[in-house]
Amino acid sequence: MVEPAGPSFTFEGRRYPIPPGGTVLEALAADGLPSFQRSPRYHRPRAPLCGLGHCTGCLVRVGGRPNVRACRYSPADGDVVSTRNAWPSRRFDLLAAFDLLFPSGIDTLRGFRRPAWARGLYQAVVRRLAGFDGPPSPDAASGPVDPPTVRRADVVVVGAGRAGRAVAERLVAGGRAPLLLDRGRSAPAIPGAELLPDTTVTFLPPPGPADPPFSLLGFTEPARGLWIRAREVVVAVGSYDAALLFGSNDRPGVLTADAAFALDRPGAAPAFRAGVVFGAGPRARAVVERMGDRIEALIAPGAVPPELVRACSDAGIDLHPRSLLLAAHGRRRVRAVDICARARGPVARLPCDAVVLAHRRLPHVPILFQAGARMQWRPEPGAYFPVADSSGRTTVPGLWVAGSVAGPSTDPAADGDRVARHLLAGGPAPGAPPASLPSSPAEAPPAPPFPGEMDGYYRELLRLPRRGRWVACPCEDVLLEELEAVPQRGYRGVEVAKRYSGLGTGLCQGRYCLPDALLVLSILEGRPPADVGYITQRPPVVPTPLSALAALDPIAATDGGP
Amino acid sequence: MTVLARDRYAVAIVGAGIVGLFTAYRLARAGAGPVLVVDRGFLSGGASGRNGGGVRQQWETRATVRLARESVADYRAFGREFGYNIWFRQGGYLFLADTPSELEKLRGVTEIVRAEGLPARLLDADGVDSLVEGLARGAVVGGAYLGSDGTLYPFPAVWGVYEAARSLGVEVALGVEATGVTQRDGRVTGLVTSRGSVAADRVVNAAGGWSGDFARRAGLPVPNVATRHEILATEPMKPFLDPMVVRASDGLYLSQTMRGELVGGLSLPHPPGTGGGMSTSPQFLPRMARTVTALFPALGALNVLRAWSGFYDDTPDGLPVLGEDPRLAGFVHANGFGGHGFMLAPATSRRVAAAVLGTASDLDPALFGPGRFLDPRRAAPVERLQLG
Repeated sequence: MVEPAGPSFTFEGRRYPIPPGGTVLEALAADGLPSFQRSPRYHRPRAPLCGLGHCTGCLVRVGGRPNVRACRYSPADGDVVSTRNAWPSRRFDLLAAFDLLFPSGIDTLRGFRRPAWARGLYQAVVRRLAGFDGPPSPDAASGPVDPPTVRRADVVVVGAGRAGRAVAERLVAGGRAPLLLDRGRSAPAIPGAELLPDTTVTFLPPPGPADPPFSLLGFTEPARGLWIRAREVVVAVGSYDAALLFGSNDRPGVLTADAAFALDRPGAAPAFRAGVVFGAGPRARAVVERMGDRIEALIAPGAVPPELVRACSDAGIDLHPRSLLLAAHGRRRVRAVDICARARGPVARLPCDAVVLAHRRLPHVPILFQAGARMQWRPEPGAYFPVADSSGRTTVPGLWVAGSVAGPSTDPAADGDRVARHLLAGGPAPGAPPASLPSSPAEAPPAPPFPGEMDGYYRELLRLPRRGRWVACPCEDVLLEELEAVPQRGYRGVEVAKRYSGLGTGLCQGRYCLPDALLVLSILEGRPPADVGYITQRPPVVPTPLSALAALDPIAATDGGP
Repeated sequence: MTVLARDRYAVAIVGAGIVGLFTAYRLARAGAGPVLVVDRGFLSGGASGRNGGGVRQQWETRATVRLARESVADYRAFGREFGYNIWFRQGGYLFLADTPSELEKLRGVTEIVRAEGLPARLLDADGVDSLVEGLARGAVVGGAYLGSDGTLYPFPAVWGVYEAARSLGVEVALGVEATGVTQRDGRVTGLVTSRGSVAADRVVNAAGGWSGDFARRAGLPVPNVATRHEILATEPMKPFLDPMVVRASDGLYLSQTMRGELVGGLSLPHPPGTGGGMSTSPQFLPRMARTVTALFPALGALNVLRAWSGFYDDTPDGLPVLGEDPRLAGFVHANGFGGHGFMLAPATSRRVAAAVLGTASDLDPALFGPGRFLDPRRAAPVERLQLG
């Protein structure tokens, strides 16, 4: 490789040119799908799963700062990027022996109790297996911390995707000056609206009778604190592609459609050349339309709609409708998958180098749970959504939802425009319950019928013999068997399952484990997912650096906020 | 719908936290007859699932030092007895002093602990630096340290005692709220719950932060006050901090769990009572972040994953309330632990079980008995080492 002449960073002794405005992951992905992280307990090779800055598949250390997401971080010239969760080296990690030594899992709950004299040794080893990296080094915090952003706003719009932008544009046209927040860095400006990119927020405390009722605490990458008070908030944070349970579902090459799109960039080598797609909805169709030449087969839990059949046929993609995805093969990279037709079909092996998960698109609801909005389970796609009327009003006065976070949406921009028109026409005064919404659980709409498609899918799949590790929570390496042990030992509800198994306590805050865990628990407990519950969404809903929060203390101490 | 299995119990315990479960377990082992435990929430939903897992033997009160020492022995043997690994790691408890006068207070504590035969040490600033890495220069003038103190992982302790109690026939009814007691001729005759009344010869109030609420509903007001305390957890790291670090001046405590997370909190002046719920205040995250980064400057780049809160069950003198209420025979207190129920439950539950069974124990009623609050002179703090 030719040493780059322009700005560059180093990763494991090699210099990489910094793509203009690009991230560490984009630079490392120039040669294909990069796999540089190891899982915490079993030291299994990991690659990016989500491409959205939530999973732990692309964590790196930048200088002295640990747990930086390569997919979110724009390197500076001279940055030293590394990974630490391997010994003696990333390519040859002896700690991967834990994967082989504990084929049925490391039981930290009931194991390691005998002999008593070995307790110290067990503690030292298990303690070392936790986490991905050591603490920050002293130089990591030595730079100046930017003064925090403090605002009082009329309307805050969280999310600058299609729905959020449409909301902001309509509000500007109606004479309002919204503050628009986006987690990404590249949302284009909207004249008349203030845009804060690279920004995440949490409701703190949950909205109450105070005026203005909303207090949003958050930060702007890398560490600028943020505290906003607002009269009204529109949440338009969109949706994401779910993970899936099957054998070796954590292998490099198993990635969500979000990640497949994020990695599919002009000039970069493709992340895969012969993938399989799982799913048959609009998202699977989008994958087929954009990357059909690199897709060998489409596996669907149910029927495949005629237009997707045609698209696959045009692209030469084999169809496997009504099929179960049983397991992936390969260690450092997916090399094949085992599938079988539902109702006990024979097992077939499909060679491939990637599994693109496009079967279930879920709303980013943690922020809505945390805001205290009433939520309701919908069997399709199998997720909680906010209870909201057609204008986007939630059960929290002054809190609105727009776009795919409110429900499956075919035209998020039109949704956003409609919600903003209602908001302009006069939302309810703060403190007054919206007239058109039920105000007590007794008046809530009847619980929707259950089950949905994935419920039937998992009912069948979980009865079959298994091979490979079924990773229920990739952040903490919690296995499906550990989740299944919870109801088997007589405990009920997802709150206890979280405390028993550790599931949902990792860096992704449950985004890639909870949706499937709810279905599994619902099946094993014999009651609808809505009765299994949801784990309390604790602030901050996105990991937030201590330095950003610390800079907000003088504001909190003097007058209780902006 | 939870339906209670019987209409008559020997003992009904309010609260399925670690204190109530340990008491139920000891009573069942002693053959006390049918034991019922009711809890309004889910298992580990209260302070037993919300605490930082600290277990210390450094106290100002010698009787408490002895109870804590016994609990340490119990937790060391927990895996053998209960089948769950609670990862009790004796990495020590380090009390930090940021002023010479704080250090003098700690000297008094150290002397009391040493008088009980435990090798607590008073440290100067260099001694503190040798135990924790990354401490800011000049942040402390010294500290007090006992290496056999430590931290455990609270959840498996709850599962272990819960399962052991159930296997001995204890009935644990979750989602059932205790709303009062029935009585006749100065004796408890039963427990009133959200699912109806049951007869019970003894009722134990082990309701943690809700102990004061339940005592009032039972017509036996106590001076216990529920105070909300907040706590946070960071993303996991490789081992970095061995001891639990505590600072009396602001109530800071911080430890690293076996899962690698830094877990800790500090005291904020929240309104007393359980009415405000268990949410996180906007002041806590900034204050805690500023405090931690002032003490450990390198940790600024560390991410906070989540914050939550729970209730301490505080008493005016800083000591728990253990034993039968002099106003109502058969009503037994196991509360007022002030945030230390988890670390004291194994030992105190033996004394509470003895009080229920009417057998002798070494518990000093003048120090721990509920009758002490009937004497208005006994409102002064006795145990001031409250936090951490």
